[in-house]
Amino acid sequence: MSRIEFIGVSKIYADGTPAVRELDLAIEDNEFLCLLGPSGCGKSSTVRMLAGLESVSRGAIHLDGRRINELPPQHRNAAMVFENYALYPHLNVYNNLAMPLRAQGMRRAEIDDKVRAAADLLRISDLLRKRPGQLSGGEKQRVGIGRAIVRHPAMFLMDEPLGHLEAYLRVEFRAEIRRLHEQLGVTTIYVTHDQEEAAATADRIAIMRSGSLQQVGTIEDLMDRPCNRFVGEFIGEIPMNFLSSRVTGSDGSAAVQIGGTAFVPDARVRRALGRIRGQELALGIRAEDVQLANALDGEGLPASIAVVEPQGERTVVIVDTEADRVTCVVASDEMPAPGEHVRVLLDMSRAHLFDHSGTNVLESEPA
Amino acid sequence: MTALKPGAGGARTGGRTLLPARGTRTLRNTGIYLAACVFVGFSLFPLYVIAVTALKSEHDIFAWPPVWWFEPTLEHFYNAIFVFGAGNAVAFLVNSIIVTVVSTVLAIVLGAMAAYGLARIPFRGNKALAIWMLSTRMAPPVAFVVPIYMLFEKAGILDTHFALVVIYTGMNLSFVTWVLRGFFADIPVELEEAALVDGYTRTQFFWRVAVPLVRPGLAATGILSAIFAWNELLYAVILTTREAMTLPIYLSSFHALLSIDWGEFMAVAVLAILPIMAFTLAVQRYLVRGLTFGAVR
Repeated sequence: MSRIEFIGVSKIYADGTPAVRELDLAIEDNEFLCLLGPSGCGKSSTVRMLAGLESVSRGAIHLDGRRINELPPQHRNAAMVFENYALYPHLNVYNNLAMPLRAQGMRRAEIDDKVRAAADLLRISDLLRKRPGQLSGGEKQRVGIGRAIVRHPAMFLMDEPLGHLEAYLRVEFRAEIRRLHEQLGVTTIYVTHDQEEAAATADRIAIMRSGSLQQVGTIEDLMDRPCNRFVGEFIGEIPMNFLSSRVTGSDGSAAVQIGGTAFVPDARVRRALGRIRGQELALGIRAEDVQLANALDGEGLPASIAVVEPQGERTVVIVDTEADRVTCVVASDEMPAPGEHVRVLLDMSRAHLFDHSGTNVLESEPA
Repeated sequence: MTALKPGAGGARTGGRTLLPARGTRTLRNTGIYLAACVFVGFSLFPLYVIAVTALKSEHDIFAWPPVWWFEPTLEHFYNAIFVFGAGNAVAFLVNSIIVTVVSTVLAIVLGAMAAYGLARIPFRGNKALAIWMLSTRMAPPVAFVVPIYMLFEKAGILDTHFALVVIYTGMNLSFVTWVLRGFFADIPVELEEAALVDGYTRTQFFWRVAVPLVRPGLAATGILSAIFAWNELLYAVILTTREAMTLPIYLSSFHALLSIDWGEFMAVAVLAILPIMAFTLAVQRYLVRGLTFGAVR
C-alpha cells in the first residue's frame, strides 16, 4: 500500500531557481505515473524530493497520509533507478543487488534467495560475478533495475532510466518495465522526456512545464483533450496545427472564421462559442484530422502544397493556406505534388480552440 | 593496427603526419627504454652497494679493485643487532615501526574523513578551510622546532612515541586530506544518492562505498606518509633522546664515530630500508587508476 500525495509542493534551489511550483498531484497505490516534460521542467526535482534527495521548499509530500518531508531517504523505502545507472563499481553484480538488503540487516540465506530471484526476473543470472565495468549499458541498467526490485519498496522512482540506452534497447526496456510493474504492482513514478516511452509504460501521464503541472491523464486524454496549447503541441508525434481564427455570429449561427473561410462548428464547439464570442483564437487540430480535397471543391481553406515527405505507408504533407502552414497526413498512394492547389478540410469535431493565454476553451469550465 | 596505412601510427594534424612512421617509432621507443634502463640502474646502484657491503667481510669491503664475487657473511648483521649497544638497533627499529605505523594510520583515517567532508559537504568556509590546511604545509618545519620542543617539554612528553606520532600525523594530515579530497570529489554523486535510497546513512556510504573507491588514493598517500615518518630526522633528533629514538638518528650517529664501521653501518641501513621498501611494494598494487570505472555511463 502506498499512495503518494504532493500538496502545494514547491522547490526553490539555493540560487533562487524555482524548479517546481505549487505542485498538487496524487498518485494512487499500484499506479504507474509518468512525469513527462521538456528538460528543465521540474520532473526530476519532483521525483528527487519524493526520494528525499532534495528538500521540499514549500508544501508537503504525504505517503499513505503521513507527511514525509523530513524523513531521511534511507527511511522512505523508495527504490530508485538512475539515468546513469549509479552501480557500485567496486562490487560485482551479486553484491550490487545485495546492498539494499544488507542495509536492512537481512540474513545471508534470505539475501541469497532474493538476489537470485531478482536476477532471474531480469535475466542477469549469468552476470552475477561480473563487475559493472565489464557490462554493456543495457546490462548495467538491468542491474540498476534489479537493485530496485530486489526488496519490496513502497515506491519505484525511475529518473530517465532509459536515457543513456540505444533506441532499440529503449523499446525493449519500456515493455519490460511495464511487465515488471504488472508483476510486482508497486507504485511507480517514471520520469522521461520521451512521450512514446510515457505512452508505452504509464497508467497516467503528468505533463510539466517550467515547474508547473499542466495536465494529468491517460495518453488518450492528453491527445484528445489537451488543456492548453503547450500540451497540444508537446503531445503527439506530429505537432498540432494552430490556425489563427475568429468567432463570428452568435449562438445558433456562430462559426469559426479562418481567413476567408467559415467553419461551422459542431454542438460541442458551439456550446463554448457562446462564452468567447468575438475573440481572436487559435484553432488547434492534429495532422490526422486534416483532409485535403480537390481545389475545385467549394468547401475548405484554399491552399497550395509546400512540402511532401513520404514516410513509407503514409506521407506527411505541409500546405500553405492564406494564413498559416498546416501539416496533414495522407495515404502514400494519394501523394500530391508540390505547388498543387488544394482545399484543406478540418474535422471540427476534433478541433480545439485556444485563447490568447493558451487555455483550451473547449476543455475549461465556464467561468 | 597492421591494416593501417604507413604513417597512421603518428599523430596527425589536418591530414599531415607530424611524427615519423611506425618503423622509426619502434626505434625511438627502444631508445627511450634503453635510457630508462640506464637511469634505473644508476638510481639503484647505491642500494646495491649498501646491500653488498653489509654482506661482505671486512676484508672484501676494502678490497681494491672491488670484488664482485665474494662469500656473503651475516657477521655485520649479527654485530649490529646483538653486539653494538646491546640490541639498541632493534629497539630503534621497533620505535621507527611504531611511530610510522601509528602516525600513518591516523593520518589516513582522519585525513580521509576530513577529505570526504571537504569534498562533499558544502558548508560556509569549506574552501577556505581546505586552503588553510594546505598552508600549514608551506612553512618550513624547522621554524617550529623550538616552540614545539618547549611545548612538549612543558607537557612532559619529550622522548615518547606519542610526541613523534603527534608531529608526524599533523605534518601528513594536511597533505593526505588535500590529495584525498580530489579522489572523493571524483566519486559520482549518484552513487551516494543510490546508497541513501538503498537504506544507508552517509557514514555507512563513506565506509562501504567511498573508502573502497578511493583505495588508490589511500595507497598513494599512505606510502608517502609512511616514507615521510620513516625518514624524518629533524624532529626526531630534537624531541627524542633515547627511549623513543628512531633508526635515522641511530644511522646518523655512525658518522660521529672516529672510524666508520662500514659493515655494521650498512647492515643497519639495510634494516632501515627493508621494511619501508616491503611496505611500498606491497601497497603499490593498489595504485591502479580507474576504480570508479563502470559506475556511471
